[in-house]
Amino acid sequence: MSPLLVRRLCFTCGLLVVSALMFFWWHVWRAALRPDEIYTGLILILLVLGLALFNARKKLPFLPLVRAATWLQIHIYAGWFCLFVFLLHIRFRMPGGAFEITLALVFCIVILSGFFGLYISRHLPPRLARSGEPLLYERMPAFRLRIQREVEALVRQAEVETESSTLSNFYVQYLRDFFTEKPSAFYALGRAGRKWHTLYAETSALDRYLNEREKAIASEIRDWLETKRNLDFQYASQRLLKLWLFVHIPFTYSLILLGLAHGFVATLYAGRW
Amino acid sequence: MAESLTRISRPQRWDVPFDPSMSEAEVDRLLAIPPLSTVDQARFPPTIPLRGILHNDARIRRFEPGDIIVRESDYGNSAFFILSGEVRIVLDPLPSEMLGRRPPQKKSFLASLAQLWSRPRQPEVRDYSSGKIAGSTDAAKVRARQATGEEVRIFLQDVPGVLEKNRTARLGPGELFGEIAALSRAPRTATAIAEGPAELLELRWQGLREIRKYAPEWKAHVDRLYRERSLGTHLRETPFLKNVSDEVLQRVAEHTLFESYGDFEWNASYRTVREASAQERLAKEPVIAHEGDYPNGLILIRSGFARLSRKYNNGERTISYLGKGDVFGLASLFGTARESGPVGLQFSLRAIGYVDVLVIPTPIFEELIAPRFSAEEIHALQKRVQNEMQIDLGRDAGATFGPEMIEFLVEQRYVNGTATMLIDLDRCTRCDDCVRACAASHDNNPKFIRHGRVQNGIMVANACMHCVDPVCMIGCPTGAIHRESIEGQVVINDLTCVGCATCANSCPYDNIQMVEIRDHRGKFILDEATQTPILKATKCDLCVDQLGGPACVRACPHDALIRADMREIDQLERWLNR
Repeated sequence: MSPLLVRRLCFTCGLLVVSALMFFWWHVWRAALRPDEIYTGLILILLVLGLALFNARKKLPFLPLVRAATWLQIHIYAGWFCLFVFLLHIRFRMPGGAFEITLALVFCIVILSGFFGLYISRHLPPRLARSGEPLLYERMPAFRLRIQREVEALVRQAEVETESSTLSNFYVQYLRDFFTEKPSAFYALGRAGRKWHTLYAETSALDRYLNEREKAIASEIRDWLETKRNLDFQYASQRLLKLWLFVHIPFTYSLILLGLAHGFVATLYAGRW
Repeated sequence: MAESLTRISRPQRWDVPFDPSMSEAEVDRLLAIPPLSTVDQARFPPTIPLRGILHNDARIRRFEPGDIIVRESDYGNSAFFILSGEVRIVLDPLPSEMLGRRPPQKKSFLASLAQLWSRPRQPEVRDYSSGKIAGSTDAAKVRARQATGEEVRIFLQDVPGVLEKNRTARLGPGELFGEIAALSRAPRTATAIAEGPAELLELRWQGLREIRKYAPEWKAHVDRLYRERSLGTHLRETPFLKNVSDEVLQRVAEHTLFESYGDFEWNASYRTVREASAQERLAKEPVIAHEGDYPNGLILIRSGFARLSRKYNNGERTISYLGKGDVFGLASLFGTARESGPVGLQFSLRAIGYVDVLVIPTPIFEELIAPRFSAEEIHALQKRVQNEMQIDLGRDAGATFGPEMIEFLVEQRYVNGTATMLIDLDRCTRCDDCVRACAASHDNNPKFIRHGRVQNGIMVANACMHCVDPVCMIGCPTGAIHRESIEGQVVINDLTCVGCATCANSCPYDNIQMVEIRDHRGKFILDEATQTPILKATKCDLCVDQLGGPACVRACPHDALIRADMREIDQLERWLNR
């Protein structure tokens, strides 16, 4: 059994045991007419605060704290447990009232963005690793511009050398947009490359109208098409891998603030303040 | 009103002498002592006179009886010449506590936490106004030494007991020691103790290098010592010679040949070799032993790395790489001993860069070493070799740590690293947490680039690998780039770095960067004379002063990054195949 499988098995078993215990105690509290919402709410806010500490740990890399990899594993499984406690807290029903609905929505956004982040951080890296030479995100705009200039130079060269405008017309009509545009962040998750396939096929089909020199230049352009496709995929993937945190982290802070306010109000009106 | 710029004199070699109190009178005295008195000073160039070397790269040290001069396993950057008194070299290992060994100085918890608010906002800030050099890990130690004017000494308790219980060698006036560690960038192989009051001349290896270069008689003397002493020590370190009697070892040593392959400064040609085709690269590697040839002897790797390969169709297939302490030709020698006729070598051995080997001739091996092996050991050895000889292209194609990866590590000479940064691209989300952690631990200055060559989804990032053979240290004129004494990390003393870029140019892996330093306002610090920015060399220091070790490794949330010791092939294979 691989170490990865053993780790997953251990964490999953741990999660199931803790969830079962939580479920048992929730039933006990309810049977004993205890304020289970207060208890689960308290556990929930402590869990969210604990989960949010992961971000604080990242700011203190020089302290001998637990490795971020271990912390992330705990963060993921604690996140699942948090969802279960949340369901107990709302008693598996839709909450009523504008504030509670907003709070529940924020919670859902945090949880869903977390699961989305988990999915893309497992799904995209292996694809990124196989999409050509690894590129640094900060250097991508300059590389995009370089590709565009190289292709334009090739097109001009074809025009001068062969006195034919076939390639330059084709570039202006079909290829220019592809070489200048930036893909959306979700490009990597969609049917990435469909447009590229079409353009590549059309550039190949153009060969029948070209002389030998133009064919050689068209072949070079096809190489640049491939390079641009890799760049687009890497750009979109890396952007998405950064952007999801811009949802997850701000909404976590909102959740903490709203949760604390909710806790304050709930205990106040429950006569326990 | 324009703000005034900080101007200082551009740092020069010998700005910070080895011993600021070294006087001209002492230099005169040294020049009157043989063999320094016999050296022709006219051979030295005017910019590096012998007097200058003795004045700036040497210091006179006086030791009391029992003082430890050098300790076994410490990384040293200097050699010692005995002026008076006697020194005992303890050949057996001594306990760490006896040698006063303590773990390296780390920042305290509060000092670590203070980095959160005390780090400068601007990159590469140095504060020359208060004498405080920000960003230097060694500056505090250097300042402390200068402030007290004292030298920290370790002395050995119970000297007679130690000398009685351990094997020792006695050295007297006019003899040199410590040159092996200084010149080969390797740890000290023995502990040296002052037997009585002793006066020694300590020479920085840069100075020793210059004297060897311009005084051929010194070169011959140092080389002879180097060969004689490394031979005996290395034979003792070889597992199957550990328990042999002194007589047997003496006989083996008498017949053992000391050979070197490749270029000591191999980094000079490395960049051109790297761009060549696989066949061309292989053709340029000096052959130590050729597949199919009769084994002339047992080959022990003393230092450096060698490629183990086997012929396959029209090329050579790299099976593995051998490093210090590894042995080549054992199975063939046993085959020869058993069969009626000679058995040829099953593999070829080639030098990667620079390799020192010891060759124990076949007749000596058959007479003195072969009888020490049991039949089971020989059978297990031959079975392992048989397995290594089998080539299964189908199985190899899918392996993360197959021949392709070994070939890549060998060809790019990454096998040299003891802390090579490997990133598993199948796991890395490019979050740059490793880079941010590095910057946060080094005054906002990341010390590596998350970019590098890739093989089978594994990236070797541009981070200092803390090489077994740190060629970056070869040309440093001031010794600013050096090894930490216990753990051997290669670090740069920012205070003594003159910004000459020799180390950055020597590093075959482009892992040292030259940076323009600034003051706290972000303005470049300029050289008074030329008005150009002052440069300093910077690189990964493996978070030598941080509490938790390398921040990059601990910061990776996806367990995608390690600092791998490439000598630990099994460990590396486990990580790659996890």
